[in-house]
Parts: sequence; C-alpha cells; structure tokens
Amino acid sequence: MKVVPSRSSEWVNPVTSQQPASAIIEIDRVSQVFQTSARKDHVALSDISLTIEEGAFVSILGPSGCGKSTLLYIVGGFVNPTSGAVRMKGQAITGPGPDRGPVFQEFALFPWKTVLGNVMYGPRQQRVRAAEAEAQSRALIEMVGLKGYENFYPKELSGGMKQRVALARTLAYHPEVLLMDEPFGALDAHTRTRLQNDLLNIWERDRKTVLFVTHSVDEAVFLSDKVVMMSKSPGRIREVIDIDLPRPRRRNELLLDPRYQKYVVDIERMFDEVDETGSAS
Amino acid sequence: MTSPSALARRAAPMFACIGLLAVWQVASLALKNDSFPTAIEAIRAIPDILGDKESLINILASLRRMAIGFGIAVLVSIPLGLLMGRSRAVAAFFNPLLMVIYPVPKAALMPIIMLWLGVGDITKTLVIFLGVSLPVIYHSFEGAKAVEEKMLWSGAAMGLSPLQRLIRIVLPAALPEILTGCRTGLVLALITMITSEMIARQSGAGNILFNALDMGQYDTVYAMIIIVGAMGICLDAVFERVRARLVRWSEPQFDMPLSFS
Repeated sequence: MKVVPSRSSEWVNPVTSQQPASAIIEIDRVSQVFQTSARKDHVALSDISLTIEEGAFVSILGPSGCGKSTLLYIVGGFVNPTSGAVRMKGQAITGPGPDRGPVFQEFALFPWKTVLGNVMYGPRQQRVRAAEAEAQSRALIEMVGLKGYENFYPKELSGGMKQRVALARTLAYHPEVLLMDEPFGALDAHTRTRLQNDLLNIWERDRKTVLFVTHSVDEAVFLSDKVVMMSKSPGRIREVIDIDLPRPRRRNELLLDPRYQKYVVDIERMFDEVDETGSAS
Repeated sequence: MTSPSALARRAAPMFACIGLLAVWQVASLALKNDSFPTAIEAIRAIPDILGDKESLINILASLRRMAIGFGIAVLVSIPLGLLMGRSRAVAAFFNPLLMVIYPVPKAALMPIIMLWLGVGDITKTLVIFLGVSLPVIYHSFEGAKAVEEKMLWSGAAMGLSPLQRLIRIVLPAALPEILTGCRTGLVLALITMITSEMIARQSGAGNILFNALDMGQYDTVYAMIIIVGAMGICLDAVFERVRARLVRWSEPQFDMPLSFS
C-alpha cells in the first residue's frame, strides 16, 4: 500500500524541495542481532538503510518490539550495530558525541542537580565559562516554559516538567541532531499534546535535524516531515512517507485539515498491517 | 510540628530510654545479684570514668583508631564497590574474594593479624577496616549497578569520559545507597573497635570495660556499656544529619531504624 501525498497546496516543503538536500545522517545496511539464549538469536534490526537530511524532522514509527529505539541508540553511538554502519556528515559514528543529543522517555535527569544545574551540565563540560553557561541555560529554561523553577530538584517536578528540563539540557550543548526516544511516551494525553506543540514551536526557530521515535501515529504525522514506518520481527523499514503539510503547524488547524486526516488514517491502516503478526490490537 | 502526635513522636525515643533504665533498675533490685548493679549505680559510675584522665585517653585512643579504620575503609571501599558495579570483569574478580571474607567474624582474624603485626594500633585499625569495608563495598556495588543506563548515556553524549562518568555520574547517583552502607559501617566500626580491644588488651574503651570485669567492678562495666552505647547513638545521629544533608535531592526514603535525629 502506498500513501500518495497530496501536493495541492501552494506551500512547498523546504526540506524535501531543496535541491540537492544535504544528508546529515546515513544509516547504511544496519543490522542488530541480540543473543537471547545460547541457541536463539533475536534479529532486532535487519538491513536498515535510511538517509536523513539536514534540518528534517523525521519520525520512526512502529509497533513495540520493532527495534525503533535500538536504531536510535545506534545513531546515538550508545549501541554498536552487529553489522552495517552509520555516518554523520560522512564520518563513521563510533560512539556518543555532543553532535547528537539524546532525549529519553525516562528523562534521565541528574537527580542531584537542580534544573539549572542539569541544563548547565553540558555547556560546563564543554568548558563554557560559568557566567555564560548560566545565562544561556536560564534563557533555555525560560524557552521551555520553566522560568521560576531553576532551583528545583527533579524530584520536585512533574513528568512533563522533567521532560522539558531534559530537552533544555540537551539543547544547551547545541547538538546538530536531536535524538528523541519516545520522549512523551510516559506522559498523560494532555501534557503530551502540550509538549508536542511546544516542541514544534521550539523546533521551528532553528530547525535542527530531529530523529523522533514514537508509536503514536498522530504524533508522528503532526510533527514530522517524514515518517519512517517500521515492521517488526525482524525490524525492517516498511515505508517512508513524506508528510507534506504546511508549517508552521497549528494543531487546531491541522486536525481539521483533510490531508492530515488522510495521512493519519492511511498510516494507521499500515500500522495495523505490520502489527497484526503480534498482538490483536 | 507542635501537633500532639508530632510531639509524641519526638519524645518517644526519650521515653524508650527511660523505660529501659526503669526495667533495668527494677530487675536489678529484684535479682539482688552482685554482678548486676542497678541502673542508678551504673549511671553514678559514669562521671568517675569520664573524669579520669587515664580513661579519657583510653577512650580517645579507641575513637582515633575507629576514625582511621573507618576513614581508610570508606576511601578504599567506595571506589572498589563502584568499579565492581560498573564492570562485570572487576565484579567477577572481587566477588569470590569477598564471599570468602564475608562470613568470617573479623575479630576471629585478630589472633592471626596479631602474629604478623603485633598487638598495637595497626592490628586493631586493620580489623576495624575489615569490618567496615564489606557493607560499604556491598552498598556501593548495589548503588552503582542500579544507576540508570540512560543517565550515563546522557553524560556520554555531553562528552564525559568513562572515568568522568564514574566520578561525576555514578558516584553522586549511588550516593544515597553508599551512605546507607557507610552508616552500617559506622556501627560495625564501633563493634569491631570494642571486640578488637577485648582480644588485644592494651588500651581503649574495651580495655577499661574488660579490666573492670576482671576486677569485679560491675558498676564500671555497666557504665562503660552505657558510654559505648551513647557514643554509638551520637555518632549515628551526627552521621544521619550529614547523610540527610548530602542526599536532600534524593527521593524520600524510608527512615532507617535507629534514627535519633
């Protein structure tokens, strides 16, 4: 099944229309095999190739167990692939680095640091002067909507606030690519929606490249330029769908837009197909 | 803070102490045994001990050995425990060694250590060191093992080297657990301090206690027990204050038993 994006609007996607769009990340025939027991191997990822263009917001969508987070960890350099390679701007990725900033579902904040301490951590590690790092961090904290919480510890914050801190902490060391691993997966529906809106607003300021893992179809369509649909067992790329919807996107407009609705319906159908081998849902 | 229940909670430990002394007093009067002085007799003997310069020197010598043994144990055990918690190879190497040492009462090693190192400070400090090390290693190990992988990844993405991650992420993240181990270690330091002085009598609080026992000065014996107990409670209370300050950021934990602060 093929999703045909409707190109009826006068708006042109700056990412897909740039000729030629420059690739920032190239995933080249990556496979990942985990040994689950002495004799059985679990193929988490099988022969994944994908090119991510600079400035694009790309979502990796798929049912749980399709290896989408593993793929993100490989791009982050946190996990080494069994075979294949990932290149960033032509350079092979061999480990984590400040050019790729992760944001995890589990927030992974440093609980012994205040909000300000967490956000300043990256810049201080990169030897930015304390006063400068603090000024930048305070601005970022304000940008993610947490002004007034600078001296709070993570345990004093709600889940949504923690994820805002985590985003600010990662943005603070200016990664070229944001790697977001189901960042809103642990949040309630309302908080999730608000963070999606705020993420888009922040993203539209500087259009960093984002690789965004999710299992929510409308989240993927709402945020992305491109949705990479994966199937599971083994994890493969089923389809890459360009989302041709105008930006800046406003949720209230988009939800009424038939093109948005069609993307969601079509991709949901595809999701059901790839997931039917697993649960009955 | 001043609600009746809060007031009762604050006063409860004092009532427990008074209750214990009362039971002691009554039991001693009822038994009329020469080797079991009353609580009041024992308490009366305390100023004599604390007023005696010789005794004070002994007690301070004990505390000094305890502080040194505890300090070295903590300095060695925390890095070792953290390394074990983050490296399977290091854990696989040290685990069997620790399993062998673990069930051995450290005081039982004293005669052997005495043969090598004599009956002096080094032997006793070493025994205290051994007594403190295991719980501190164990808790540091558990704390380091439990550190969230994603937290370390976040650090790695910021450019922290493996050593920097160990010192700047694993250490603070495991600190609540490490300090729990240190608290247990502190109590064990006091216990091994007294037992070491029981075996190698030369000086110290244990020496006063067991000399008095030999000479049948039972009020002194019980007074020393009270003094040692009070030292334990004070050390623990001070440590708990420090601990609570250091891990203010931590999730609220269950209050430990023996909390007098």
